[in-house]
Amino acid sequence: MFNALVSLPPRLAATLRRLPVAWVWLAVVSLMLPATACDGEDPPSSVDAGAQMHLEPARLVFHPDTAPIAVDIVNDGKDPLFINNARLEGPDWSSFQITDARTSGIIAPGERATVHIEVDAASLKGPGDARPIVAAGAEPPEPIGPDEYRVGEASLRFSANGAEVSAPIVFEDPPWFGQYFLPALLKILALVMGFIMPLASLLTWLERKQSAMMQDRLGPNMAALGFGKVKLRLWGIPHFIADGVKMLFKEDFIPKYAHRALYSLAPLFAFAPALVVFAIMPFGDAVCYDHLGDVLSQADVDQCADGRGGTALQIAHIDVGLLYYFAIASLATYGTALAGWSSYNKWAILGSLRASAQMISYEVAIGLTIVGALLVYGTLEPHALVRAQMDSYWGIVLQPVGLILFMTAGIAETKRAPFDLPEGESEIIGYFIEYSGMRFGLFFLAEFIEVIFMSAMVATLFLGGWSVPFMGAHGFETAWAAQLFLTMLGLGLTVIGVGAWRASKHGETFGVLLVTVGSLHLFGAAYSLFTGWGTALPHILVIAIGLLTWGAKVFILCWVQLLIRWTLRPADEPGLEGPASAVDRQHRPDGGDRVPHAARGAASHLARFMELRR
Amino acid sequence: MTIGVKKVSLTRTTRDQIFLPAILEGLLTTARHFFKNTLTPGMGDIDTIRYGEPEVDVKDYYPDRFRGVHRLMYREDGSVRCVACMCCSTVCPARCIYIHAEDRRDDQEKAPASFVIDELKCVVCGFCVEACPCDAIRMDTKEHMVPTETREEAVLGKIDLMKRGGPSVAVQGGAAPNYREVAPKRDPRFEHDPQ
Ligand code: SF4
Ligand code: SF4
Repeated sequence: MFNALVSLPPRLAATLRRLPVAWVWLAVVSLMLPATACDGEDPPSSVDAGAQMHLEPARLVFHPDTAPIAVDIVNDGKDPLFINNARLEGPDWSSFQITDARTSGIIAPGERATVHIEVDAASLKGPGDARPIVAAGAEPPEPIGPDEYRVGEASLRFSANGAEVSAPIVFEDPPWFGQYFLPALLKILALVMGFIMPLASLLTWLERKQSAMMQDRLGPNMAALGFGKVKLRLWGIPHFIADGVKMLFKEDFIPKYAHRALYSLAPLFAFAPALVVFAIMPFGDAVCYDHLGDVLSQADVDQCADGRGGTALQIAHIDVGLLYYFAIASLATYGTALAGWSSYNKWAILGSLRASAQMISYEVAIGLTIVGALLVYGTLEPHALVRAQMDSYWGIVLQPVGLILFMTAGIAETKRAPFDLPEGESEIIGYFIEYSGMRFGLFFLAEFIEVIFMSAMVATLFLGGWSVPFMGAHGFETAWAAQLFLTMLGLGLTVIGVGAWRASKHGETFGVLLVTVGSLHLFGAAYSLFTGWGTALPHILVIAIGLLTWGAKVFILCWVQLLIRWTLRPADEPGLEGPASAVDRQHRPDGGDRVPHAARGAASHLARFMELRR
Repeated sequence: MTIGVKKVSLTRTTRDQIFLPAILEGLLTTARHFFKNTLTPGMGDIDTIRYGEPEVDVKDYYPDRFRGVHRLMYREDGSVRCVACMCCSTVCPARCIYIHAEDRRDDQEKAPASFVIDELKCVVCGFCVEACPCDAIRMDTKEHMVPTETREEAVLGKIDLMKRGGPSVAVQGGAAPNYREVAPKRDPRFEHDPQ
């Protein structure tokens, strides 16, 4: 205690000496903030008295095969609503139909009533240009072919308490290229090139750096990006570039008796499935192309997620989503099995047999833990799973044990310690023993991509995917949720920033950046406190928050997986001795500042247990 | 004393059998180290000496008694302190000190006409420093012998050795405090007279 007091002043002095850098930032920020905050509009209050209702979704988009769309009339006011008229208007009103008989009635405050709108696609199909009613002065429509649909427009109108709400209706038959191909291509590129590959390369560095930090070592820190005289060491992050270059220029060795074709193909068999499984992973809710600046309701976004007027932030919307994962993940077994077999090496084939056995057997455990989520949320489709978690509780609340089991089986599925029997560093080197250069690099990257995928799975199944608690498609549910979110995030970023800032000379800029962003969040929280801001956010901001949340969850889970991998050592690594027992703990010589024997023992027992079972 | 048998119980508690508390304990330990090493000022618990990095002066890390390249010290008038007593070349286990003596012409002492140390043969034992009666030769430069391209460059003569040298103010002749006064207190177990 006394020491801490004595050493405080120099530290404080050092911190204060560096402070001017931050002052500049903070001054700029605090000068800018009032400027932007003051000319902002008033928070959205309720609409005019008498028309305190709105429709969800606020606009309807139909495709030829769209099922009837449910439209909710929501009473936002304090008085009951008397609906006395529901009608369709516009040039193509006769092609749409309100299917519910009851189009009038009373809606209590806060309640909602639902009607269903259906499209009669056949009436909008060519040939010909016959519109039932052509508005006066309209141009003559273009003729359409026999198998084409023409664009139909109408609007849905409700009147209640002397006021009216209406929702535009659009019917269109989008081209295949713009509707399916282009969005899918862009999403694949964005996800793979913008998230998975960078994160996987970063993990190759993080694995070494994090284990070093956990074991009081320095870790990789020498590679630098040189710009003339300036050398950016960046805590050694450029190491992954150096590694990539090294891998590319290493000799590509093929053993004499290896099966050349399969030997060359095996890394691809291992690598491709690891990437392909990401197809079902939702990384955000949905983007509505034309309404990025608007406040949207969940019904609007759901419509976009269905592909009408937008696209879901998920590459493939497959109803059997998780089964697709199992199908593809079991293909990855071929990569390891073929690698071992084609290398013509006893150790390689031992490793590949172990890998196949382990991957297939742990799929059972993964499958059974997923059944829990399936029973609770009633769907196998990951996007729907996340939506279901937003509506009820996250999986971690309902199934904490399932989370632990899934994590365990997931680590085994990625073949990493303490389940690294296939690699078995100290006995057999594993199925990739004969590989060198970038072929080995592919196995290595595939392993890290699997780690990312497992993190994404845990995030999707148990941690609510992209969702933030108390936040929906329109923004935060209440202002205090926004304040809480912003305060927590701001405090977290500021604390980490101050830590990084004080930690080293290199961390200064990064730390100041974090502190700035963190204090921006705190300013935002204060702004929300005075104005109630946060309950109606523009669509694009909600998407951005969702994407960042998903990325942050995945990254943190990757970090946790690395933490587990470097805490629990495998059974076959030297330095493991003695059973996990109370005796071990009592007689630990170092006063307990090491990884407890029991934890290492636990890993060894787990692995031994698995071996016995085999 | 007979050998005692200590009985310890090897039963495993439930806590041991479900593994999770122990695993969690381990995770917390490693996570604590991680955050301490990344977020505290300086290097946290990391003891590594970042040898050879540009911003690190390795001399800070050497112990005070580190033996570097030899040097020869001066007197006040700038002449070499060495009196060519041959103690160092006699004691040198590698036989790598070659001295030719000459007369200093001050009616008192000798001086080395040439003083050569073959650093390639030297085993850096430091005996020469111990042996020197007049603080003429020292190994406190904290410098490693730099690699040379030829053998000849590694053979250091008097001039090379004195370039690293400095003035020494030790009293010529090796006067020192009375060792009986500075000797540590004797161990009481050996106080009695062995006779
Ligand atoms: S350090 Fe030892 S080996 Fe080297 S010169 Fe001195 S006595 Fe000889
Ligand atoms: S022991 Fe000292 S004084 Fe004697 S020859 Fe060597 S360096 Fe000179």
